[in-house]
Amino acid sequence: MNCQDVRPRLLDFGRGHLGAEARAEVRAHLDGCAACAAEETAERALSEALEERLPRYKAPVGLKRRLAREWTGAAPAPPWWRRWARPLVPTFALAAALLIGLPLYYQHQWSGSRDGAPMITEAVNDHLRVLSSQHPLDIESGGMHQVKPWFEGRLDFAPVVPFVGDADFPLQGGAVGYFVDRRAAVFVFRRRLHVISLFVFRAEGLPWPSHRGERLGRSEAWPTSSRGFNVILWRSGELGYALVSDVDRQELGQLAVKLAPA
Amino acid sequence: MGPVIRLPGQWSRREEREYDGQVMGRDDESRRAALGREALAHADTLFNLARYLTGNAADAEDLVQETYAHALDAAHQFTPGTNLKAWLFRILRNAFISSYRRQRHNPTIGGLDTVDPTAQGAAPEQWLRDDLELERLRKIVGEEIEQALMTLSEDARTVILLDLEGLTEVEVAQVVGCAVGTVKSRLARARAALRLLLRDYAR
Repeated sequence: MNCQDVRPRLLDFGRGHLGAEARAEVRAHLDGCAACAAEETAERALSEALEERLPRYKAPVGLKRRLAREWTGAAPAPPWWRRWARPLVPTFALAAALLIGLPLYYQHQWSGSRDGAPMITEAVNDHLRVLSSQHPLDIESGGMHQVKPWFEGRLDFAPVVPFVGDADFPLQGGAVGYFVDRRAAVFVFRRRLHVISLFVFRAEGLPWPSHRGERLGRSEAWPTSSRGFNVILWRSGELGYALVSDVDRQELGQLAVKLAPA
Repeated sequence: MGPVIRLPGQWSRREEREYDGQVMGRDDESRRAALGREALAHADTLFNLARYLTGNAADAEDLVQETYAHALDAAHQFTPGTNLKAWLFRILRNAFISSYRRQRHNPTIGGLDTVDPTAQGAAPEQWLRDDLELERLRKIVGEEIEQALMTLSEDARTVILLDLEGLTEVEVAQVVGCAVGTVKSRLARARAALRLLLRDYAR
């Protein structure tokens, strides 16, 4: 390979996207060509500057709330709606607001009375997403000492997880997910062939069960099951926890005991 | 006494339907809701791109909101298993082009595919070969990189940002609507232009 062949491949080379043969050829050229080697270093320096120093802007919390409301609340307007003449729109808007708003209001009241049901549904849905995702983990575990620091800067809280995994419940890795309207740290443990998801999130403002739960360390926990999955919810200080899996209730309880601060 | 645990094979029809809707994407409404929850996880990333495209927070917020509205309408067009982030980027970029771009004056640095790449590509080498200049690039601060990036054309900025988000060349091509080969050359040109600008900041 000469300089002209090497230059367009430098980016792929730096990212490890080249095949073994091409990589070896580029490497051989760089060893003998100072200009291309300098160019390679500069490209790397630019990548590093962009990846590590370019400011990243986060979406304002208010915007996220609005989006969450729009996506998870309202049903989309049916196509015929748009064909109605403009003067009719306010009338229909009012009617729609009543039609959509009232059932939602009552449903909210009702689901609130089902005591923690929305949180259990959410926990199971989130766990199903972990199971059905082809790449559920953003970070594969090299142990909790690698997974926990990875969350820094990705969440607006520090997930407190006192248990680092052991032979019975090895830690597989972590990811950033969503729990209802907020970001959550997702920890994935295993029990034999079963996947266990732990979601850690800010506890305030969620419809926690109102009945008395069971003691779990210093916390109050609500074990339940939904759609064939066992779920244990608990809160500790400002953080909420949801542990979900299809392992049996007792085994999930064992892990919860390890995870909750004693 | 807790409820009895059942295997998926023992689920009721209603539970199976619910599961199919939420996970397998067969039921339109719950599929939309599931997609919505997943899409919301990309709000920060979308906002970041919108912020760099529009150049200010208020427009970025509007653009992201518009993007999600379009995505909600087009939820049935999303193919499960493909890259959701890339799909959302594409909607965002299209919304940006139709609503914002024409309002603004566009700089063209690194943006025209007709620009001779050697004219821009040759210059950085000379200074970057110099260790001192390389050292400066290594020390340049985030705000300066941002300023330089903002002077690039929107096309150039977009490929750099999408590349930074880890999209493959094929995905970038789908987002910006050009050939895969064009992405490669556009990215190379955009990076060369950026290095040229950063050299000036480093002085």
